[in-house]
Amino acid sequence: MFANFRLAMAWLHTWFGLVLGFVLMVVFFFGALSVFDREIDRWGIPASRFEPQPMPSFDKVLKPVFESMQPTQESIDRMRPRVDGPMPERYDTVRRWGAYTTHRDPVLGVFAGYEVPNAKDPDEAIFASRTIDPRTGAALPDDRLKIGSRFFYPLHYSLNFHWLDLGYWIVGLAALVMLAALVSGVVMHRKIFREFFTFRPRKSTQRSALDLHNLTGVVALPFHFFFAFTGLVIFAGLYFPVTHTQLHPLHELHEQHEEQETGLPQDRAGVPAPLASVDAMVAEAQRRWASRGMAGEVGFLALQHVGDANGYVSIYRAGTDRIALTGEGIHFKASTGEVLHEDPPPTAVASVAEFLTGLHLQHFRHWLLRWLYVLGGLAGCVCIATGLVFFVEKRKRQHAKQGSSGARVADAMAVTTVTGMLVATLGMLIANRLLPENLPNRGDWEQYCFWGAWLLAMAHAFWRTAPVAEGRLAPAWREQCWAVAAMAVAAVLLNWLTTGDHLLRTLAAGYWPVAGVDLFMLVSAALAAYAARRLGRRVRGAADARAMVAEAARA
Amino acid sequence: MSTRVLDPSRQHIVLRVAAALLGGYAFAWGFIALGTSALFAAGMPFHDAEFLSSMLGILAYLAVFLWVFAVPGLRRAGAVLVGAGAAMAGLASLLQHTLV
Amino acid sequence: MPDALMLLAAVAASVAGMGWLALAMDVHWEQVRGDAPRRPACVACLRALGALALAASLALCLAVDHPSMAALVWVMALAAGALAVAMTLAWRPHWLAVLVMRAPGRVGA
Repeated sequence: MFANFRLAMAWLHTWFGLVLGFVLMVVFFFGALSVFDREIDRWGIPASRFEPQPMPSFDKVLKPVFESMQPTQESIDRMRPRVDGPMPERYDTVRRWGAYTTHRDPVLGVFAGYEVPNAKDPDEAIFASRTIDPRTGAALPDDRLKIGSRFFYPLHYSLNFHWLDLGYWIVGLAALVMLAALVSGVVMHRKIFREFFTFRPRKSTQRSALDLHNLTGVVALPFHFFFAFTGLVIFAGLYFPVTHTQLHPLHELHEQHEEQETGLPQDRAGVPAPLASVDAMVAEAQRRWASRGMAGEVGFLALQHVGDANGYVSIYRAGTDRIALTGEGIHFKASTGEVLHEDPPPTAVASVAEFLTGLHLQHFRHWLLRWLYVLGGLAGCVCIATGLVFFVEKRKRQHAKQGSSGARVADAMAVTTVTGMLVATLGMLIANRLLPENLPNRGDWEQYCFWGAWLLAMAHAFWRTAPVAEGRLAPAWREQCWAVAAMAVAAVLLNWLTTGDHLLRTLAAGYWPVAGVDLFMLVSAALAAYAARRLGRRVRGAADARAMVAEAARA
Repeated sequence: MSTRVLDPSRQHIVLRVAAALLGGYAFAWGFIALGTSALFAAGMPFHDAEFLSSMLGILAYLAVFLWVFAVPGLRRAGAVLVGAGAAMAGLASLLQHTLV
Repeated sequence: MPDALMLLAAVAASVAGMGWLALAMDVHWEQVRGDAPRRPACVACLRALGALALAASLALCLAVDHPSMAALVWVMALAAGALAVAMTLAWRPHWLAVLVMRAPGRVGA
């Protein structure tokens, strides 16, 4: 199809980059925001603006919470088609109770998985979850949406598009294409070392865009490659469900071996048994970690086969000081508290697995690295956005002459994806502050505002990119930049007006989750305003140039 | 502009993209299946075998994806990928049969 | 807090190192020092300084964190340093002159 390898790679980079670039912008941007997902949660749920808490006492705080949990009506309705027969009033046979916390969590999310009687698949489970204040066990209302960890974060790996799991597959394809774009980009870029530091902002838009595209792509190349790659590795089981389909028998064989080796039963015995003190088990686990020179907090606490003689409790150490998410798991017999099994040190392959997933999911404590990750993510966004701008600039004059609107559509889509995405994000945060506190399904309304704002931005983008069809700069960019600047300032002001937590107060108290979000928005407003002014100057400059040419022609 | 009859080069592009995406997927699947079963049969812990094969399988997918666009012969490329994928998957099932 | 200071130093070393590596290239040397000519030894010297600074950055990262984390911090610090140098060269190239004021083998007065 192509004369040589370089041309093939150039074609691949251009066209796959164009088509999947829009998805990748969303993935990179919300991925960058997800570094501080829990901090964004705090901004959106003022009731949770307190200090991060360690895992609370199971016996005193968590047990009553777990015992009172039940699946939501929504979950029950979704399970109905997967059940042959009547569904129970209460779900009492618990497969698993779990609680996971990190050094950044003030509130604690807990989940429970129950057996589903009469289900078509005997391994089926229905889930319930709750968010509590770990200091008291009091539950937060269920419809408070955690904008960071339950909206922006899932958006970046699934586009929140769950029909047939298509969102996951689109993101997966985009990740593969990202890897291909990075390799093909390197192949195409002949002067990769010579132009390593090159950025010429005063040249034509096309040249500056290409310079910036190359710069942001190359300096953060390891970051871009590793994040796309580890993202695919994390969801490999979803994209290639080999061991749950073709090799399922092999998987079952392994599970039987593992049950024998570790003494952790796969199934319930069917004999009820009481639950010993989990707090005592936690204390024992912490004692064992300390004796190995690894004193630490509990990251993950899970109870399997609750209420059964085969029940066991698994306690994992939080990976705050290392890349791995959790580790050093110790498993206790639920009815007596004796240690059944201590996880052995990880094998070489398991260490690599922990490293790769941990570096992507980042539950470690390292504020500099987190901010450097945000920088990397935003560099990725700039890389993709400048790629789109370069594509449009290169072709718009040509398309204008041909009367084709290809460049205009690409530009409108670029505006929608770059500034439109910012408008949607800020729109959601503003709605979060403006919607009535006790509005039922408040979280759903916030999501509607997000998508609604984005649609409005898209409509505006298509309307205001008409000049591109004549080979000129679209006013849509400048106008949306001004909108972003105004909305970011509005969001910060609304936070002050509705919660009283203005910047001076949060900075004085050192409450960085809220201060950080406010500051980030103010800096963004400043950058957006600066960009809008520069774009305005460029348009006036181009208009002046055209006027001068027209004058000269008349003279 | 008639959309029923595709330009030969446009049709070629569609086929090449399909070969890269679908043929590549088949190849990667076979690679992961064979890797998992072979490494497990050789004594590696199951989840380690699964992880290592998946990780290398994704890199293999990337490599063959690029390869499809670099080689001249489209039909041969597609056939090689699907054939190799099927062969590897077949071997994996055979191995599984001997172990289970 | 020595940790925070060491990390700050690691980032600074990365910026300086990237700056020196950039200045070893003629096009960027001209941006910073105009038409001042220079000897080939100067170029080699700048590259060596750059490499040393980047190595120092790695050493500082390793002094603060577990190697698996330090490696990530260093790679990202390199990216940040390169971006900072590229932006400085684009908008305020004369700011990088501070990196070559006391370079040994400096040409001219």
